[in-house]
Amino acid sequence: MDGLEILIFLFLLILGYFSGTYFEKRHYKSIRERERKTLHVPMVTFGAKQSLPEAQDAQLFVGSVVISVDYFKMISATLRNLVGGRVMVYESLLDRGRREALLRMKEEAMAWGANQIMNVRLETAAIGGRSGNNSGPGSVEVIAYGTGIR
Amino acid sequence: MFIRYKQPKKPPEGNVIKHSPLLNFAYLLGTVVIISAVIFVALGFFADWLAVRISPETERKIGDMLFHTISDEEIVDDKRIQYLEELLESLPESGETTRLPLTIHLIKSDVVNAAIMAGGHVFIHTALLEAVESENELAFVLAHELGHFQNHDPTKSLGRSLVFLVASMALGIGTSESGGVPDIVFRTGELTSLSYSRKQERAADLYGLSRAINRYGHGSHSLDFFKRLEEEEQEQGRLLKVSQYFSTHPLSKDRIVILNKAAAEKGWKMEGDAKPLPEWLHCPNMEECEPDAEE
Ligand SMILES: [Zn+2]
Repeated sequence: MDGLEILIFLFLLILGYFSGTYFEKRHYKSIRERERKTLHVPMVTFGAKQSLPEAQDAQLFVGSVVISVDYFKMISATLRNLVGGRVMVYESLLDRGRREALLRMKEEAMAWGANQIMNVRLETAAIGGRSGNNSGPGSVEVIAYGTGIR
Repeated sequence: MFIRYKQPKKPPEGNVIKHSPLLNFAYLLGTVVIISAVIFVALGFFADWLAVRISPETERKIGDMLFHTISDEEIVDDKRIQYLEELLESLPESGETTRLPLTIHLIKSDVVNAAIMAGGHVFIHTALLEAVESENELAFVLAHELGHFQNHDPTKSLGRSLVFLVASMALGIGTSESGGVPDIVFRTGELTSLSYSRKQERAADLYGLSRAINRYGHGSHSLDFFKRLEEEEQEQGRLLKVSQYFSTHPLSKDRIVILNKAAAEKGWKMEGDAKPLPEWLHCPNMEECEPDAEE
């Protein structure tokens, strides 16, 4: 590792920290605001093996989001891998993904006129990153889907 | 059964802990750095501890592994090797044993050098045989190397690499391309910097002089080789030729002064006649050859 590599490493680390923190703060602000706005529509996991409440229409709604890991989070997590324990930098990332995916699904359902969203499910998938030959920062995809009724 | 959805007053916040990513990062970095430093230091102490305790068989195996990584041009089947072996064997005091049989490797090179490796491999460059002017000088150089061996200096100088070498030996791992030496040993980078500390040099010097006196009855002429090397080192141009010897055996200017002082303290005899070298020591097989067309 020569001087230039160390310099690039530090640059990526600092860039990752400042941009990552800024985007996370802004994202959380938007999430909280939209969650408050859509709070009145129930969103439940109920409905897989039960009959749905009486309604005229039912439709599938999907909310999907992909969030990238920044360099700072990745190095933090790499260090955490050596030590062990909760990877808090990734916990907030997944929390944002989960809530954003739910919101996107819910907002779409509400635009359609849903008064309830039943049988909500969540799934995550890792894209790129440490899997395979690619050793750069990866991304995480969170998908939320549920049945909207009106 | 009928379940009613009750609207919460506030959206749930999840269970993500509020924390400072920077502090978290600093904590992680600090932990990793401190643990690595502790392991690195402990490995150094462990290597020192291990260096004098590994069995001769293990040392022999390590020596053979390292020996295969050296690609110098070795002269085999030469009467000079026999002469050097006999000279080396005559040096230890009666009753003193070496933990391994010593093997002389005569290397064709115009760089003055002599060194001993783990496992009892003694390297003598042909240039050394041209540079020495009496058997007393040659005996002192050999005895000095023997002193390093008796003090376990070659294994000590392997440093942390030694731990990995012994571990790989025990686990039976290693790659054939590197002569059986595990790659990690090369990564620790200590294999190539086989230099001894000033303290180790002094101990080897003292041992060397005592064994030279043991053989010749006096310490005279034994140090002349170093006196000449020291003078040559001052001169520009010849520096390169002798530098290899000094890179593995750091020379301090007071080396000869210290030895003379130690000899005076112990009452060692430092006057006497030099024993001449075999006449054609610089020629292959010690057969008469032209001074310029040697080798
Ligand atoms: Zn030495």
